[in-house]
Order: sequence, then C-alpha cells, then structure tokens
Amino acid sequence: MISMSCRIDGGDFDKGGQATRRLKEQLSRVGVAGPTMRRAMIAAYEAEMNVVIHARTGTLWARLDSTKLDLEVADEGPGIPDLELALREGWSTASAKAREMGFGAGMGLPNIRRNSDLFDIETRIGRGTRIRSTILLSPQMTPSSAIAHPADEEAAGISPERCRKCLRCIFSCPTGALRVHAAGPVLRTGLCVGCTECISACPSAVFGIREPAAEGGNLPAPGEDAVLVVPRAFLASPLAGRSPEHALAALAGLGFSEVRFTEEWSDAMEQEARAAASRCGPVLPLIPPLCPAVTALVESRFPSLIPNLAKLASPLEAAGEEFPLRPVVLLAACPAQSASARGSSLTGRLTVLSPARLSAALHAAQSSATASGSTRRPALRAPRARPEPVEGELTVSGARAVMRALAAAEAGALSGATVLNLRLCEQGCSGSPLVCPDPFLAELGWRRLPRFLDTAPASDAGTVRRSRPYSQRAGMRLDVDMASAIRALGRIDELVRALPGRDCGACGAPACALFAEDVVMGRVESSACPHARLIQEVSR
Amino acid sequence: MDARELATRINARVCPGAVEPGPEVRLVHSADTMSGLIANASPETLLVTSLNNSQLIRVAELMDAPGLCLVGAVEPSPELIAQARASGVAIIVSPHGLEKTRRLLEACLRGVGAVRA
Repeated sequence: MISMSCRIDGGDFDKGGQATRRLKEQLSRVGVAGPTMRRAMIAAYEAEMNVVIHARTGTLWARLDSTKLDLEVADEGPGIPDLELALREGWSTASAKAREMGFGAGMGLPNIRRNSDLFDIETRIGRGTRIRSTILLSPQMTPSSAIAHPADEEAAGISPERCRKCLRCIFSCPTGALRVHAAGPVLRTGLCVGCTECISACPSAVFGIREPAAEGGNLPAPGEDAVLVVPRAFLASPLAGRSPEHALAALAGLGFSEVRFTEEWSDAMEQEARAAASRCGPVLPLIPPLCPAVTALVESRFPSLIPNLAKLASPLEAAGEEFPLRPVVLLAACPAQSASARGSSLTGRLTVLSPARLSAALHAAQSSATASGSTRRPALRAPRARPEPVEGELTVSGARAVMRALAAAEAGALSGATVLNLRLCEQGCSGSPLVCPDPFLAELGWRRLPRFLDTAPASDAGTVRRSRPYSQRAGMRLDVDMASAIRALGRIDELVRALPGRDCGACGAPACALFAEDVVMGRVESSACPHARLIQEVSR
Repeated sequence: MDARELATRINARVCPGAVEPGPEVRLVHSADTMSGLIANASPETLLVTSLNNSQLIRVAELMDAPGLCLVGAVEPSPELIAQARASGVAIIVSPHGLEKTRRLLEACLRGVGAVRA
C-alpha cells in the first residue's frame, strides 16, 4: 500500500497541478498506468484546481492498495451553497481570472464523478468542501467486492498469552463472536461488532483496541495547532490524571491547542435525527449511528433494520471531518470507534488513539507540567443546551438492552417509536471500560469543569453525511451458495439435537448451537465437547 | 502520424526551444476549457486550444499528451516554452483559428491526401 498527502495553495495558479503531478510520480513508481492512471489524473487535477480556484488552502490525500485508489481532497473555503447545482455540467462560480485561464466551465465536479467508481462530496458553508473519489484497479471489480466491510477489520486487540480460560468473555459477547481455544481467545471474522463487552468481562485484560504501533504513537508536535477529540468522561477519569484541570494542562503540554468532546457531535446527531424523524422520514424508527458498534450490530444481526439507520457519519468520524487541515487526534472509546475512525479517512492528519496510550502520554506530560508550573490550557467549547426528546424517542444503552430494542424493532413491536438512540456501552462512551473505570465517578469529576466552559464559545459541531452505504455483513452467512447453506443448516440442526444442550462453554463456544455450527463448518473437531465424547464412550 | 509532419502539412510550426513533438498522433481534440482538454486527453491525442498559460503544460504532462497546438499564431511566452521543455511537452503553433486547425489536423489524420491549409 502507498499513501501520500500534498498541500494545495488556494489562488496560486502557477503551482496548481503540482499535487496531482506528485501523485502521478508515486503511481508510476508502482506501475499504475493506462485507463486507471488517466482517470486518477483527471479526478485529482480537477479536485486540486477546485481548491486553487475557490479555496484558501487544501490538501490532497491518496492511498493505493491492491484493489483500488482512494483520493481525497479537502479544503478550507467558502463551501458550496447548492451542491445539486454544482454537480450539473456548465454551472460554475469561478472568478473572471480563472475563466480567462480556461477554468470555470462547470465541468470539474462532473469530470471527477465520471472518472470515479465511488464519488462523494461533503460541503459546509463557510468551512470548506471535501471530495472523495475511489477508482477501482480492475474493471471487473464492483465497488462492493473491492471494499471490505469496515466493521470486518479486526478492531479488537487480543493478548492470548494473558488468557486464563475463565470463559467469561464467550458468554459476554452479544454476537457469539468469541471462542476460547487452547491457544487463547479467537474472534470469528465478520461477527465481532467492536463493543466492549469482552473487555469488561475479562479479569485478565486480554482484550483491548488493536493499535498498530506506527499509528498509535503519533502525537502532534508542539506548535502543530492540533485538536484532540475525547469522550467527556475521559478527562474526568483517573486515566487522564488527578483532575480535569491537570489533564488539560498536560494536553496543552502535549501540543494540543484545542480539546473537543465527542458528545458535541453526538448531540448534533441526535438533534438532526429528531428533525429528520419529525419530517416523517420514510422509515421509522430512525436509528442515528451514534455508536459504531450498534451500526455493526445492525449490519450483521439485524439487516432488515439497515434502512432505518440514518445516513450520517458517526460522531467521531464527523469530528474528524470538522478540521480538514489540522492534525486531529481521535480518542476511540471502543474497538468499533477505532475501526470506523481509521476507515473513515485516508488523511494522514487523523490519528486514532486508544485511551490507554493517551493516558500514558498524559501521565508523562503531567509530571513535566507540574515541574514547570505551566497553567496553559487548550481551547474548549461549551456544550449546547440539550433539547427535549421528541415524542416516540427512545434512548437505550447497554448491550443486552440494545439487543432487545433492536429485536423488538425488527419484530415491529416498536410501532410508536420515532427515534432510537442506541449505545452499546452503558451510558454511551462514558461507560466504556477503556475510558473510565466508573462512569458515575467520572460524571462527578466532570462537574468541576463547567467553570472553564462558562467562558468558552458554544460548540458549533454539526453532522456529516455518511460517505459509504450501509451493507449487510457476511459474518452470519454459512455459505455464499444458498443450497450449500441450507444443507449446512440441516447438519447443524442434527448435531445440536445430539449435543447435551448445557451451553456450558467447555468446548470454547458459548452455546451448543454455536459449537455445532463450528463443527459443521470445519472450524473445530466434535471431540472438543467433553460431554459428547462422554456420551459416545458410554453408549459404546 | 508524426506530429512534426502534421504541423508541416497544416502550415503550423514547431515551437523552437520546446521539445521535439511526440512520435505518434492518432487523435486531435480541440477545446477552450481546461476541463474539456483534460477529459479528452490521451498519449495519442494532440491537444488544440486557444488558451495560452502554464496550466496547459500541466494538463499535457499529466495526461502524457504528445503535444499542444496553440492556435491563432499566438506566441508562447519564454516561461511557457521553458516549462514545456522541463515537462517534455512539445508545442506547435498554428496560424489558423481553433476550429480550422482542428479540421485540418483531422483531415490529415484521416489520410485525406493533400490538405489545403
């Protein structure tokens, strides 16, 4: 995989096209040529010149892997007042100077779209515009075959050497994704939704957030004008330090000029969902994607509810979009957040950190801040007043309760519900065991912060349209061929009847039915069940 | 067809100082917008345009176009020529207007015997 980023200066027509030229050099080096190169050049050049013509500054990012080329161009500019119009051929707001040079024909965005297999544009008035273009490397490929489901990226980090085989994790997993084998816990690909249930259940700290060493260590350099986005509870948690005041001083020492709270974007999303539901949306209840683990759960276990998911980016993804040109560090409260934030953008300016890693950096910084007596603090934003819930709005948190709510919605038993605010951790991200050992104590610590927030400007966080469609995950499917899947199901039923049905977990699976599935699918030997072995021996 | 030969046939001249035109031109595309040029450019397409600025060189370079044909006997600036040389882009200057240049070039490529320029 190769990736690159290049700054674009607005208004500088002499340098216009240099970022695309650099991209061409990189692509040529790995052998990209022919139609793919041609389409990449058109999309990248048009997007780059849009920045030159309309914006103050911008950046082009590109990432190439074996299946596709992803391009992203974000700018700080005026935004596009009417996106529909801007996507029409022949419509342009370019200056006379740009038109004189041959630009402003109103063909830029249509050219990008025409040369992209996947195209997405987001714009915010007064803030800027972000264009994403994906070009598939093989013409036979379809977008869905080339792009893996983001939730299938294994986000949970496992340290099997710590496992004491207590089996608590397999019974805690809401999707039955975990098995404990002799070598330790194993995740079934495509079933893990990235929640924190196993993390909470495990007494040996076997589970956490998978964090590639190269990415996780990238804290901003001082003077980079970096932004940190954290769940509110984290600052009041012992993980962040003695108190929120100390944590903020340490964050300033680490180079953060601004600290924002994930809840700012959650609140904005809830508000947007209320408005959308009151406009009598086509499918009710509307499920805003407040929690990426819930989104993954819907996509794997409740696919009939996929149309109910609001087409918005998750709060952490939206926060990452808010500052297109500044380095942003996103604190992921769970493996699902980490996976969605990592997959949401190819921009090198986004760093996703686990709470443990930030905590380690903060504790080191606090010692030096205390020594130097520094009182600097990053800028904060005051939360906006929360509006009253609308009629039919239901807020549910906690894995078991969310599963019940989704099952009820799927069965049509929530006919009066308009909005479902679902979070897999108790009380949302504050309840993540990675963010705070106790969300109630964190809330207490948090109450000391408002005196900083009284003078802070109000949050201007907004929602961001989701750039990729929701899709069913393949994790539950027994076979891509339906006839084979039906045959496998028959064998599973047969085996389930032969098993003792104790759901004891001794085989490493949380239920006899799941063990039967593993046996039929060839993942484990039937002898792994001690009871079945015993029954067989006795019957001999 | 060889770009130099094409130029000769339509009474155009190859700009001295820029690089030698690409060996093989199979297509001609004329446009007076950058989007129009880049959308139709290819390694076999001679780009004909009434524009005259450095972004033309960038477009030709990115798309591996064999050369640019400026129309109306416009004189490219020394900076443009230097940039074309650095980027390996050939420049042809046609004495005709945009449409006529395109028509003549297409006629040459179609193999219409003698072209009256």
